[in-house]
Amino acid sequence: MTLNVLVLTDQRGGQLKRSSLEALSEARRLVGKAGGGQVVAGLIGQGLDKIADEVKRAGPSKVLVVDDERLKWFCVAAYATAAHRLIEKVPAPLAILVPDTTLGRELASRICAQVGGSVATAATEISVGAQGEVVAKRKVFGGRATETLGLKGIAIITLRPNAFAVDPAAQGDAPVEKLPLGDLPPAAQGLIVESVVSTKGDTADLTEANIVVSGGRGMKSAENFVLVENLAKVMGAAVGASRAVIDSGWRPESMQVGQTGKTIAPQLYIAFGISGAIQHLVGINNSRCIVAVNKDPAAPIFKVADYGVVGDALTILPAMTQALSKKP
Amino acid sequence: MDVVVCVKHVPDPETKLKVAASGKTYDPDGVKFTIANTYDEATVEEALRMKEEFHFGAVRSVSVGPSRSEEGLRATLAMGVDEATLVETPPGTVLDPMLVSRILAVVIKDMPHDLVMVGKQAQDDEAGEVGSALGEYLQLPSYSFVTGLTPDAASHRLKMRRYLEGGEEVFSGPFPAVISLQKGVKDPRTPTLPNILKARKKPLKKIPLQEVLSKMGNMAGGTTPTSDIASFALPPPRAGAKIIEGQTPDEIAEKLIKALKEEAKVL
Repeated sequence: MTLNVLVLTDQRGGQLKRSSLEALSEARRLVGKAGGGQVVAGLIGQGLDKIADEVKRAGPSKVLVVDDERLKWFCVAAYATAAHRLIEKVPAPLAILVPDTTLGRELASRICAQVGGSVATAATEISVGAQGEVVAKRKVFGGRATETLGLKGIAIITLRPNAFAVDPAAQGDAPVEKLPLGDLPPAAQGLIVESVVSTKGDTADLTEANIVVSGGRGMKSAENFVLVENLAKVMGAAVGASRAVIDSGWRPESMQVGQTGKTIAPQLYIAFGISGAIQHLVGINNSRCIVAVNKDPAAPIFKVADYGVVGDALTILPAMTQALSKKP
Repeated sequence: MDVVVCVKHVPDPETKLKVAASGKTYDPDGVKFTIANTYDEATVEEALRMKEEFHFGAVRSVSVGPSRSEEGLRATLAMGVDEATLVETPPGTVLDPMLVSRILAVVIKDMPHDLVMVGKQAQDDEAGEVGSALGEYLQLPSYSFVTGLTPDAASHRLKMRRYLEGGEEVFSGPFPAVISLQKGVKDPRTPTLPNILKARKKPLKKIPLQEVLSKMGNMAGGTTPTSDIASFALPPPRAGAKIIEGQTPDEIAEKLIKALKEEAKVL
């Protein structure tokens, strides 16, 4: 049995997202599990030459590019049209892997509504079933349960960032082919981006970070929140916050982790002064290791944490920052 | 300007889950259901806020699910929605989110819909597929993960915001359109008692699933699910935190860092 895998890479502002490399590595593993096939990397956007150069060395057998000024901004219907151009070039049986970024999530189901097949979002494991069907495992109910989906037709899967390893041995020099975008349907026209406000350029992207350090109500004030940021800096971590912090206006909404904020799955999540309301927990449940520092020994976060410190975040934070800046 | 809001009746996020005998879903017996999915509740609020601020026409809610979903739709009526429609599925019916999108598209095509609004995902299956798929099935633009929107009737455009990885995008686009909402501008309103009573008299139409499927025509994907749940499982609950203790903050910090490096191996 063979399986061809098209990876739709995600890039923003000329930078390839790491989750795209994770998807390319997983595509190679999946083709291996299926017993052979091609890995085709697809690039959609504008001004992609530099990224195409990076992608062709990450192990695909071919790179297909739709580079068009009408794709400068992310309009899902336009990107789905471009994806359609790529899909036509890859023979069945086909699986499409997309990073589960905001862009990837939106794109996956629009493509499926165009070409048929099936979708699994935010998958954490992918395999090939007994009948050659693609099988995806994903977390549901805020990480409290898992479901395993058997996918029919073209299997379109978004990959949860940080859930799949980047293969360090991946290399190559795949040919790059450019494809025309062609006409866009009316639904793909008219989106205008007025501005993109970068959220804290000096901290890592929350959803892709390996380590996230977060603060909550227990930080007591906007000024104290600097302690969280100091620790994040020495750890090379991204900074998160609970809803209480956002509602108090201590930090911007873009830092919010949880149901109305971001869902994250870092290797290490450290929560300072966060009690662990269910709305927060659903956003962090997929983290590999959770550490909670809270004064209240009955705080619900201790039930899901791997390590806990019953104590004041305001004294533990500087101690950790100091300890970690001493040693390399 | 008429709005359609799609809502899903889902288990309360804190309810206890048991795997059903089929091994493919949860056992609904004894499960506490919320009146509506959190994201959908925020979406209903956003639709009603716009209706009040911009003098829209009707706001209609639609749900696909078993008869208990009526309770969720009644809650939207109590919040201020004008009319509700339930595509009623026979007990035990399993649909996948893409098929739900096609069912919704068939129903919404028959309603005035300048805006179709959905929550970004359901709290139970967390699929997040419906908004974007609906856009394609209705041949409309779709805008996802929106955190705030303002319509401009004169230019027939919506001004919106959303957080993409690493930045907040301020953008605009034409409508009619489908919007999937990350969060609204305001917290959802709590229905007042008079409004709850009034909601009982508001129209709630029920359409059998079979009737909608027969009208589906040849949408990509067809009338049966394309993704099958092979298994549904509950991982063992986490054991609870290992508590790190010490005399001073410095000692605690040292011990914690050591554990993260040597035991958990995450540093």
